[in-house]
Amino acid sequence: MLTANKINSVLIIGMAGGLARRLASLLIKTYPSVQITGVDNRDKPRSFQGKNVTFQKIKYNRSNFERVFRSQSFDIVYHLGRITHADIWTKASDRNDINIIGTQKILELSLHFAVKKVVLLSTYHVYGAYADNPLYIPETFPLRATFKHPELVDVVEMDQSATNFMWRHRDDIEIVVFRPCSIIGRRIRNTMYTYLTSNYTPVPIDFRPMFQFIHENDMTRILLMSLEKMPSGVFNVAPDDTVSIQKAKKVLGSQTIPTPVSLVQAFSKFVALPSSVPAYLLDYLKFSCIISNKEIKKYLGENFLQYTTWKTLESLLRPPKDLDS
Amino acid sequence: MRTMLKFAKDLTATKPNKKFITSFRALKRQYPSGEDPWGLDLGFFRKVFAKFWPFYKHYFKVRIFGGENVPAQGAFVATSNHSGQIALDGVLISTAFFSDIPTPRILRPMVERFVYKTPFLGAWIASMGGILGDRSNCHTILSQDEAVLVFPEGVRGIAKNTAQFYQLEPFTLGFYRMALETGADILPIAVVGAEEFYPYVFQAQWVANKLGLPCLPLTPNLIPLPSPVDIYIGKPISLPKDISVDASDPVIREQVEKIQQQIQTMVNEGLAKRRPFLAAKK
Repeated sequence: MLTANKINSVLIIGMAGGLARRLASLLIKTYPSVQITGVDNRDKPRSFQGKNVTFQKIKYNRSNFERVFRSQSFDIVYHLGRITHADIWTKASDRNDINIIGTQKILELSLHFAVKKVVLLSTYHVYGAYADNPLYIPETFPLRATFKHPELVDVVEMDQSATNFMWRHRDDIEIVVFRPCSIIGRRIRNTMYTYLTSNYTPVPIDFRPMFQFIHENDMTRILLMSLEKMPSGVFNVAPDDTVSIQKAKKVLGSQTIPTPVSLVQAFSKFVALPSSVPAYLLDYLKFSCIISNKEIKKYLGENFLQYTTWKTLESLLRPPKDLDS
Repeated sequence: MRTMLKFAKDLTATKPNKKFITSFRALKRQYPSGEDPWGLDLGFFRKVFAKFWPFYKHYFKVRIFGGENVPAQGAFVATSNHSGQIALDGVLISTAFFSDIPTPRILRPMVERFVYKTPFLGAWIASMGGILGDRSNCHTILSQDEAVLVFPEGVRGIAKNTAQFYQLEPFTLGFYRMALETGADILPIAVVGAEEFYPYVFQAQWVANKLGLPCLPLTPNLIPLPSPVDIYIGKPISLPKDISVDASDPVIREQVEKIQQQIQTMVNEGLAKRRPFLAAKK
């Protein structure tokens, strides 16, 4: 594990995202002399403030990543740049290329250029939503997401290639892979946040899936703490408590359309869903995918989160606060 | 006539009776958020049991024997014979544990996988406290000092023809290994009276296999008959300390057969003492 004096330069891939920007602020607060390079294939956000941070818009490909790694040496690499299926502007083939080939390249370059630690953000979606999922899925559980939805191959493959790389090169480089539950917060505009806070969204009446939600601030803190407190490994990230999707919508007070999801799913085979709703997500509105947090607690302690699932939901009703408040 | 009037009065009551309310308050203290990760929904649970209570009390006229044997706290594996074609016995046992014993407990029935895949049914069962019958789930819930309800006969238990009523099918071994692993006691339960909900049954197993169903009972009455039900609760059985959870199947089977025999004896004794019912076999 690293010590503070070895953390001088950091590369954050996916810098335009809300989580990455919060992470950059927190890194600077914790390590005032740290130099951060942020890259993204999206435009530089308007609200981006860059003391100690340089932003580069690059197309995610091998040569551009090589250029970034050659231009400067990094102690730490955060890979938060996974292209999600809700990104309707990216073609499936490009998404696979970026998520699978891109990740492999980032890991190889990190090893080659003697990066000390790589922290990669995967997702709990790798486990898949199944009726026979046990409660509190451990990290050792098979990644079954592609059994029903082959289009998730990039998500699973990205996770697995990082894990394999980690074991193969465990003596040379530290690699931490996080599989968080749904990250929500006022600064993150992901599919789950949109679903929870939008009015007139369908809510299942034929299934009652349970969810874990992690607050964006907690996720940012964990990304930071992983540098000094966590060894190489794969870690689920989730609070202990859960909430049903029906109750979550009720807490947030958004208008809902009670719908039999099984009918929507059957219907979606003939009529395309709105492009922002990936078909696999409908499974998560049917079956729970509750993950275990035992492993991460070994390193960050029992009370490693500031927000429970319920507090995370309630926080969406309030304006965003400063990270430390 | 008096029973009919009570049934009608309870069925049309706008508020549940006092005993029901007291039991529910006790549960609310156990599950303050009203939910748990398995999908229990206390609000739904209350609504359903409030509606079911009059049927439990006046239609099936359930009597409990040995309610004092139910541990007030801690994990245990309630192990019962299975009967009645539609698993209504599970609902009756759960209602008894929730409302008719000194300290109310929510029994968590271990449910077959196909139930959770079925729209509406899976959601309802989970809301009522059901748990997917998976070994790791069982381990987790027992580790949290909850009580699970198992029917080690499985679907074979309810899918019996009339000639096989009250003859227990061989128990599976998983529940015993789980109790060994978690140190939970086994609470033997015998249900007498449920077989006569559907007294004349033919299992169309060939059709069920074609349809991918676990069983397909054919019976002249679609609605369960008001057969009076007796639930016998035995004393908790502590498992021997010298048997390992990894013991071979024959070793475990020997222990499981003892428990099965004990439940069969409770059933037989219950049958001798049961209340008269027109459709009951003599």
